Amino acid sequence: MSRLKFPLVVAAFAFSFGSAQAADTYTPGEPVHGDFETFAQGFLDRHCLECHDDISTEGDLNLLDLGPVDETNAAIWKSLWAQVSLQEMPPKKETQPEVIERLQFSDWIVSELQRVMADKGGFNEHLDPNKANFIDHNLLFGPLPEGIELVPTSSPARIWRVTPQEHITRLNELINIEPAYDPEKRGVRTRGDVVPTNHGGELKLYFGTDRITSWAGGTVAYATAVKSIPVVLASNRKHGFENYPDFYSVNSAESTQILDKAENILRYMAYGPLSIVGMPEQITDDPKTYDKVKPPGDLRGLPTAITYNTKIARELTPVYDLMKEDATFTDEQIQAAVDYLFEALTFRPPTKGESDDYVTLVKDSIDKVGKEDGVFMGLSAIFLDRDALFRPELVKEGKADEHGRVMLQDWELGLAVNHALRYIKPDETLKEAITGGKIKTREDVEREVTRMLSDESIRKPRLLRFFRDYFDHDLGGYICKDTGALAKTGAPAGVSHYRAMFDATASTDRLIELILEEDKDVLKELLTTQRVVATERDRIYYGRRYTKEESATALAAKKKEDAALAVESKARLEKVKGELAEINAQLKEKDLDANRKKSLEAKVRRLEGEQKQIARDLKRGRSKVNVTVDEATLTGPAVYARVSRRSFGRDSMPPERTLATAPEGQRLGILTQPSWLVSHSDAMDNHAIHRGIWIRTRLLGGGIPDVPITVDAQLPDEPNTTLRSRMRVTKEEYCWTCHEKMDPLGLPFEMYNHAGLFRTTEFDEPVDASGEIIDSGDPALDGPVTDALDMIQKLSESERVEQVFVRHAFRFWMGRNENLNDAPVLQAAHKAYRDNGGSMKALLTSLLTSDAFLYRKREG
Amino acid sequence: MITRRRSLQSIATGLGAAFGSSMFPDLSRAASLAASGGPKRVIFFMQNQGFDPATCIPAGMTSNSSLAKAKLPEPISALEPFKERLHIINGLHGKHTSPSHSAFFGALGGYRGSDGVAPSASTIDYELSKVLPETLLPHLCIGMDSIENMKAKPTVANLSARGAGSPIFMHSNPNHLYQMLYGGISSGEIRSQHEARSGMLDRIEAMAAAEGKSLPSSDRQRYGEFVQGFEDMNGLRERLGGVSDHLRNFAPKVDDAYANPEFETDWHDRLLDLGVSALKSGITSVLTIGSGRGEIFGAWKGLGVEEQGHNLGHMVQKDNPIWIKIRQYNSRLLVRLMEELESVPEGSGTMMDNTLIVYTSNNADKQHTDGANWPVMLLGNCNGAFKSGRFTQLDGKRPINALYTSILKTAGVDVDRFNMSEQMAAKFDSGSGPLKEILA
Repeated sequence: MSRLKFPLVVAAFAFSFGSAQAADTYTPGEPVHGDFETFAQGFLDRHCLECHDDISTEGDLNLLDLGPVDETNAAIWKSLWAQVSLQEMPPKKETQPEVIERLQFSDWIVSELQRVMADKGGFNEHLDPNKANFIDHNLLFGPLPEGIELVPTSSPARIWRVTPQEHITRLNELINIEPAYDPEKRGVRTRGDVVPTNHGGELKLYFGTDRITSWAGGTVAYATAVKSIPVVLASNRKHGFENYPDFYSVNSAESTQILDKAENILRYMAYGPLSIVGMPEQITDDPKTYDKVKPPGDLRGLPTAITYNTKIARELTPVYDLMKEDATFTDEQIQAAVDYLFEALTFRPPTKGESDDYVTLVKDSIDKVGKEDGVFMGLSAIFLDRDALFRPELVKEGKADEHGRVMLQDWELGLAVNHALRYIKPDETLKEAITGGKIKTREDVEREVTRMLSDESIRKPRLLRFFRDYFDHDLGGYICKDTGALAKTGAPAGVSHYRAMFDATASTDRLIELILEEDKDVLKELLTTQRVVATERDRIYYGRRYTKEESATALAAKKKEDAALAVESKARLEKVKGELAEINAQLKEKDLDANRKKSLEAKVRRLEGEQKQIARDLKRGRSKVNVTVDEATLTGPAVYARVSRRSFGRDSMPPERTLATAPEGQRLGILTQPSWLVSHSDAMDNHAIHRGIWIRTRLLGGGIPDVPITVDAQLPDEPNTTLRSRMRVTKEEYCWTCHEKMDPLGLPFEMYNHAGLFRTTEFDEPVDASGEIIDSGDPALDGPVTDALDMIQKLSESERVEQVFVRHAFRFWMGRNENLNDAPVLQAAHKAYRDNGGSMKALLTSLLTSDAFLYRKREG
Repeated sequence: MITRRRSLQSIATGLGAAFGSSMFPDLSRAASLAASGGPKRVIFFMQNQGFDPATCIPAGMTSNSSLAKAKLPEPISALEPFKERLHIINGLHGKHTSPSHSAFFGALGGYRGSDGVAPSASTIDYELSKVLPETLLPHLCIGMDSIENMKAKPTVANLSARGAGSPIFMHSNPNHLYQMLYGGISSGEIRSQHEARSGMLDRIEAMAAAEGKSLPSSDRQRYGEFVQGFEDMNGLRERLGGVSDHLRNFAPKVDDAYANPEFETDWHDRLLDLGVSALKSGITSVLTIGSGRGEIFGAWKGLGVEEQGHNLGHMVQKDNPIWIKIRQYNSRLLVRLMEELESVPEGSGTMMDNTLIVYTSNNADKQHTDGANWPVMLLGNCNGAFKSGRFTQLDGKRPINALYTSILKTAGVDVDRFNMSEQMAAKFDSGSGPLKEILA
C-alpha cells in the first residue's frame, strides 16, 4: 500500500469505526466484527502510524504497509497484540485509546491470528498462562468503564489429561499400601500424598520396597536391583503452571509404554514380589534361609540380590482373586477384576457397556493365549481407557441456562471436586454423595469442599502442586551447576548438592503445608516467614559465606585445631601400633585356640582400620571447622518432610527435619530460601532476570513481551565480575524497555550467592543488593529498595500482590486464563480471602463454588 | 548495540522467540534442507563401565596417525580387517555430564545425568532417527544385561530420550522384541501372542475413537493424537504385515536359546540378531545398543567372566584378561554388524557404506571418571563423509556434544551445537560446529 493511497482507506475506515464506536458496548468473549480495512486500520492510523509509517519509522518499524493479518506478517501482528494488550503502546506520552477500543483491537488480532494460523499449527498463545497477565489487572479488580457488559462466566467443555504426578500416584495405589495419616507424624508421606521424586529427582513407581529385608551391596546396587518403572506421561519441567487441560495428550510411544508397564503392575497385583524375584526362596522372613540356596557369585545389582518378607503390603484385589487358582476362573471373577480396575484407574464405576466390552476383550485374549497371559493382556487395555488418562468435563447431560451454560453434575462434578484437591479416587463420603445424587448444587459442592479442606487426614496434594507451580521452588536439583562455580559458593560439591536441593524442595513443601495448616494471612506468611524446615546440611545453605578475611581467620583456627588434634591422633596411633604388635605376637603363639585366634584376628582388623583412619585424619585434619561458611544454628522442634520410598539403599531420603528460625536479618520467606534461589539460578551464577520476571509476573501481575528472536540474550563472559556489572548490557536503550521490568526486581537477591547462601561480599567488595520497583501498577509500591528483604516486605503488604495471587489460584484450579467475565469470581475469591484473615481455604472454597468452576459451555 | 529500531525491524522476518525457548532448532525442518550423502543409518554401541583408551589405541600412538601400519590392541584385534573403516578418537570430554557411575541419558544427550535423574532433553540417537531416511520403526533400542535383570526388567530406560522427561525404553527380552517385529510372520506361541495383542489393540483403538467422537473441536486435535497413537501402533503391525514377504528374508531363526538361554550372552547375541535384522530389512535406521543397559552392572558369564556388576568397573581395563574378553566380545559383535550390513547391496555399494557405528561408553573412560577423556571409535565412512583409517588425538577441550553435532551435520542438520547453550559452551567447548578432525 502506498502512502498516496492510504488517506482514502483511512477515510473509509474512520467512517465505519465511527459507527462501531457508536455502539459503545463491549462484551468479553463476543466476536469483534470487521476486517482489516473496516476495523483495524483505523486503530493503526490513530495510534500507531504517527511513529511507524514510512516517514518516521520508529524502531525501524513501518506499519503503513502491514495489511491484513496473514502468515507472513503474523509475527508483527503478534507483537502488536502484546504491545497493545500490555499497554506498552502507544507510549504513555501519547494519546491513549479508550479502554473498549484497546480491548476490541486486542481481541480482533487474536481472532485473526487464530483464523489465519488455523491450518498452520494454530494460534494459542493467548491461552498460555504466561500470557494471562495480558488482561489489565485494574479491569479485573477495579470499576469497569461504561460500556463493558459482562456475561455470567463459565469454562469450556473439555477433557483434562492427568499429569505425570497424578498418573503415577494412581498406579501406586494398585501395588503399594501407603501408611495411614498419623496426626503424631504429620508431614510423613501418607496415603493420598503424591508419589515424590526419588533421590535423583526422577519420578518412579517402586515395587515392593516396603517388603525388602536385605540386599547385596550398597546404595547403587540397591537402586539397580530394586524394581521400579519411570513415569511414562510426558512431564514439562519448566517454570510456571504445568497443568492446563489443553497442554498435553498421550502419544503412541507413551501408550505403548503404558501397556507394557500395565502388565508389570497387573502381575504384581496378582502375585506380589513373586512376580519380580528370580527365585521364590527370596520371599522369606529369614534372609538366612535364602543364603543357603541363592545363586553363587556376586549378586549386586541383580533382582536375585533382594529378599522380601512374607507380609502382604498391597491390597488383595479381584485381580488377585482371579489369578490365585491355576487355571479355573468364572465370568464373574473376570467381571469383578474389570470393574475393580476400571474404577481404580478412572475413579468411577464402569457403565454396563464399558464393563461388558472389557470382559469380552479379556475373554478373547484368554481364548487366544490362555489364562495367564490372556488375563494380563486383556486387563492392560483398561490402563489406556480414555478416562484413565483424561478426565472429562463434557456436560453431555443437563440443560443449558439462558447463557448457554450447563452445570457439571454427578460423576463429572464429583470428580472435578475430587481432582481439585486429590490425586486418588474419591473418599467414601464423596463417592456416596455422587452416587446418592447429593452433589448437584453449589451448596453440595461447598459442603464437600469444606469437609475435605477441614480434614487433615484427607491428603490434598493438588494444593501443594499449586504452590510448586506458583513459586517454582522445586527446580533446584535440576539446575546443573558448574563444579568450580559451585565450589566457590561454599555449598557441598557434586551429588551432595543435588541431593540437598531435592531435600530442600521437600523442606519448603513442608513449610508451605505448615503455613496452610495455620491458614492465616497465607500469602503474607509465605513471603515473610522467618521459619525454615531444615536438614542437618542446611546449616551450610542457610549459613553466611565468609568474607575473605573471615575465611583466613577460620582457616587459621582450623589449622590450630588440626594441630592440637594431630597430637592426640599421633598418640593414639602409637598406642594402636603397640596394641597391634602385641596381638600379632599373640597370634604367633603355638597351639592357639581357634576361637581365641578368631577373636584376635577380628581385633587386628579393627585396629588396622583405625590405623588407616588416623592416617587419613593426620593428612586431612580432623577439625570440622568450616573455613568458607559461617554455618547457621538451626534448632527447633522435630518435623517431617515428605520423601520418596527407599530408592537409594538404606536411609536414603530421610524424612526427619527441624523446624527452625533463619538467622536474624538474612532471610524473609520462601523467596529467600535456597530451594527458590537455586531454582532461579543457572550453572554459574544467580539468574537475576528469571527472578525479576517471577516477581513481575507472579506478584505484580505484569506481563513481559517475548524476546525478539534476533536478540542475542547473552551476558558477557567476564570471569570475576559481578552479575550486576555484566548485566549492564541490558541497559541499552532497546533492551531496557523490557529489562527495567525485571532486572531491578531480580538484583536485590544478589545478597545470596547462586547456591542460596547469604553473603555480604562478592569478589571481596560489599554486595550491592539494591533494586527498584518500577511501574508496578500500584504507585505505593514504586520506588527503590535496599535489598530483597526490603522489597519482599513491601510487596507482602500490597493488596495488588494479594489479588495477583488470587489470579494465579484461579488459573490453576480452573485450568485456564482468566478473562474479564471472570472479574466477579476473582473479586469474590479475594474478598473471601481477606474477610477470613488471609485464609487459603476460604479462597479455595470461593473459587470451587464459582460459576467458572461449576459451569461449562458446550461448543456451538 | 541492539536498538529497539533494529530489533523491531527484524521481528518482521521471523516469529518472536518465547522466553526460555528451546536452544535446539527444528531438526526436521533443517533436515529437509539437507544435502545428499552422509549416513542412512547410525548405530550407537554403548558399553558400560568406561572405555579405557589403552584398550583401543595402538601401542605407542600418541598423535594423529594412520592406522594402516599399526597393529590394533588385543581387545579390539577383531577389527583389524576393518581398520580402513575405523577412526579411533581420543580426547573428547564429557565433564559436564557427570559420568562417574554412568552419565545415563547424559551420555547420548551431552548433558548432566546421573542415577535417578530423568533426561533433561532429547538424545542424539532419537534426533537422528527423526532426520534419517524414514523407516517403519525409526529408532530401536536394545539393552544387554544379566539374564536375571533382562527377565525381571525386560524394558528399562537409561540411555535414550525423546525429550525432557521422556525416556525411551530398551528391549532386553528377545522373545518380546521378536514378537513385536516378526509376530506377523511367526508361528506357534509367538504367533498366538501377536494375534491376541493385535486383537486387543484394534479393540482399544476402536473404543478410543468412539469416545472421541463427541469431543469439542478444541479437544479433538489433542485427543486425536491419543487415538493416532493406537493407529500408529496398529499401523506398525499392519505395515510390517504388509511387507511380510520381505521380512521373511531377514527374520532370525528362533532357536532354543530364545526360551532357554544358558547364559546372558545367548540373549545378547539374539538381541543383536534382531537389531541387525531390523537394519537389514529396513525397519529401522537407528539402533542403540546398551551393553550393561547404561548402569554400572551387567554380566558376561557366557564369556567365562564370573565376576559381574560393580567390581568390573573397579578393575583397570588395560591388560586385564576379563576386560580383554568383554572388549573382544564387543568387537566380534561390531564385526558381525559390519559383515551383515556389507552383505546387503545398497546403491552402488552395500548398506555398510551408508552406515556409521559409534562405539563408546556411557561412563567415558572408566567407571569412576570425571569425564575429562571420552574415547570413541567410529566405524564406517559413509561414502567419504567421515575420515577413517586413522587415530585422532584431540586436546580434551571439545565435548561429546561436538561429536553429535558432527553426525547431525552429515545427516543434513546444520547446527553449531547439540544440547549445549552458549553459556555452557563458554565453559565446556573451545570451538563451535562439527569436529573438523572427523569429517572428510
